[in-house]
Amino acid sequence: MEKKSGFRAFTGTKTFTLLLLLAFIVAIFAILTPGGGFLKPRNIKNMINGMSVNSILTIGAGCLLVSGQIDLSVGAVGTLSGVVFALLFTGYGVPVIPAVIISLAVVAVFGFINALLINRFHTQGFITTMATGLLAQGLGYILDGGKAIAIKSDAFNAVGTKSIFGGYLPISVIIAFAFFAVYGLLMGRTKFGRSIYLVGGNPTASYLSGIDPKRISYTLFLNSAILGGLAGLMYASRMKSATQSGITNSSFAGMTAAILGGISFGGGAGGMGGALLGLIILSAFNNGISGIGIPPYWQQVASGALLLVALSFDYLSLRRKELALRRDAARIHAAPGGATDGNPKA
Amino acid sequence: MDGHIEFTGIGKLFPGVQALADVSFRAESGQALALLGENGAGKSTLLKILSGDVRPDSGAISIDGRPQNFQSPLDALRAGVSVIYQERQLVPTGSVAENIFAGDLPGRFGIVDYGALRARTAEIVGKFGLNIDPDEPVGRLPIARQQMVEIMKAYRRDSAVIAFDEPTASLTDSEIAVLFRIIREMKANGKIIIYVSHRLSEIFQISDRIAVLKDGRLVTTFETSASNEDELIRAMVGRDLGDTYANLSRNDKFGDTLLEARELETEYIRKVSFALRRGEVLGFAGLVGAGRTELARAIFGADRVLSGSVIFNGEEVSFKSPKDAIAAGIALCPEDRKEQGLVLFRSIRDNIAMPVLQKLKRLLFLDRRADQKLAESAIERYGIRTTGADKLVAELSGGNQQKVILGRWTSEKIETKLLILDEPTKGIDVGTKAEVYQIICDFAKQGIGVIFISSELTEVINVADRILVMKGGRITGELARAEATEENVLALAMSE
Repeated sequence: MEKKSGFRAFTGTKTFTLLLLLAFIVAIFAILTPGGGFLKPRNIKNMINGMSVNSILTIGAGCLLVSGQIDLSVGAVGTLSGVVFALLFTGYGVPVIPAVIISLAVVAVFGFINALLINRFHTQGFITTMATGLLAQGLGYILDGGKAIAIKSDAFNAVGTKSIFGGYLPISVIIAFAFFAVYGLLMGRTKFGRSIYLVGGNPTASYLSGIDPKRISYTLFLNSAILGGLAGLMYASRMKSATQSGITNSSFAGMTAAILGGISFGGGAGGMGGALLGLIILSAFNNGISGIGIPPYWQQVASGALLLVALSFDYLSLRRKELALRRDAARIHAAPGGATDGNPKA
Repeated sequence: MDGHIEFTGIGKLFPGVQALADVSFRAESGQALALLGENGAGKSTLLKILSGDVRPDSGAISIDGRPQNFQSPLDALRAGVSVIYQERQLVPTGSVAENIFAGDLPGRFGIVDYGALRARTAEIVGKFGLNIDPDEPVGRLPIARQQMVEIMKAYRRDSAVIAFDEPTASLTDSEIAVLFRIIREMKANGKIIIYVSHRLSEIFQISDRIAVLKDGRLVTTFETSASNEDELIRAMVGRDLGDTYANLSRNDKFGDTLLEARELETEYIRKVSFALRRGEVLGFAGLVGAGRTELARAIFGADRVLSGSVIFNGEEVSFKSPKDAIAAGIALCPEDRKEQGLVLFRSIRDNIAMPVLQKLKRLLFLDRRADQKLAESAIERYGIRTTGADKLVAELSGGNQQKVILGRWTSEKIETKLLILDEPTKGIDVGTKAEVYQIICDFAKQGIGVIFISSELTEVINVADRILVMKGGRITGELARAEATEENVLALAMSE
């Protein structure tokens, strides 16, 4: 890439666009919210607090999307982990730590099944994870008998409800940021992270260069399920109970944030920093829109519109160059530069 | 009948490749014109222009004297042109009848008259004399039968111009007989037939005239009855790449045997045996689908070996995946750079480090400085034209992309003993080609064994020390560089 002076180069990046979008959203809601409530410390604290569960989901979804895959089951699986924990702890008196471990092990099985179906039996990821999600959701209903199960453990509930530094820094937020830091390093600086980008960009070329796309897929589906489980437990801790719907509907929130933050739906591009920014934008938007008294159904419409705007943004700005290159690539591919020897095989 | 189609001065430039230049010829009603040429001679592009799939940069097509300007395949169909490609364009889940009448289903008010559809299909199937059920989903038919359905589709359209692209590639002898009978019937009905094939014997059986293409230009046309095989082969090859080959600085010291394949079989290759010495460049020549790519994949651990053995570097090996082969010192530059070789939207640096990420690890993280150095040294060594190691590979030219792949397999962090190059000069300009030839010879000088697969006869017989010719998954002959000529290699590649 051509080296431009620092700021000029920065204005051309996706990060800059996202920061502009965030500033715009903050400005709009600061003006529109009655009594300037949007920027009050209490509201900001609320907003950040609400982000913690979704941040874990955003990370899991982001890693998978970079590798070119998708997991729609993660929300239901997360809910199930909360139910399993509550059942073990409240129903059977299993201590907190073993109960956490068992519930994460249960959801890990779902991750493994997703990976197995997709890699071994070559099923479509979209449909496969939708099906396992329904499965997990149904199991959750059966296990809790359709009722919320209360969790009476101060230690467990502290994770989702307590704050340090005079009540301004929720523990769940610390955990969320720690996760972003760890996964940021993992994606950006390690061999495994690099391999995820390469496989997402071109699985065939990666395979022929000694990278094992299947191993990466298995690892990431397991990772997605376990992160979903952690998010589910965090949510249960915040609610001090395992509820029926739990975080089932949050699968899309994680993906939306990741895509908004520049992680390409086709795989191979984007990063954890962008995903975090995407999450902040999404949270600010959702918080702001409920603060100005728009009815809940219209809030959903607005969220959908935001994602559409983000996607078109993506295509109109950064992607234009890529699309042009892809068109050229396709044209060269169609050119008779020589023979194609044999059948194209993956 | 005096119908005719005329191509006048057709030219087409693809990025870096002059696909067609000033091609003019004429085909008459009631006759079959055969188009003959090596891989990459421009036959496919010409057919794509005829079918409206590709628009020419210059020149024009006229039918019966009326100029045509096809903007899409639909325009060509409406003008009475049907092109039957090798890749079947059928809906596998649709029935034979639905496929044959696709786009023109009988019926009224949008409701298909299935009775009429079945009856009309049965009539066509009967004309072909084949035992095919009109209601059978096309996807369940054997490949050869699917190809025949494709031909029936064109027959049904009753187009004035019907072009066939290698129609017999997937047909058995009995179906070929049917096809030829149908083509003769079409000729008798005053159709204009354009027939593309590698198979000389077919061309003599079915065509009236032969047009020979070479490097995108029309070399000459023959009356089929007044020509012979030798003459055609000479017209297809005759070319001179000047002093490029004479000036190559080659390796002349071969070491011991590096690789030996014994009766190797996969789904695609049959009992392939050969040996390669250290420092030797072994060329693999053949036509499209001869099994050379599949042989490379078998050695590289990418395709499952059914029987036979591979001895590499003194021991019998059986690689479960490319990863194992790479660890043993084998490298593959695949034929399709963009689809199989490169991660286009990652940097040069990322693409070069791919097989050696493990060696770039320092504790938990990748050593970014070593990573960068690796890329910079490859950029310098091969003179890759770029503003830096960060540039996306998609932004490089074909030749520079190929150099990135070469750089990947010859970096300081990897010890490649056997380098397999599958069509390494495909789609790259002449100047870079010459560079690639010298790079290949330089590998050999370092004691690396090189397998050089190429469909360009001139380069493979001039760069390789020894040439193996493949056809239908088998090795059909072996020639030393001194004795190989384009004619004798082509004869082996097309031998029946």
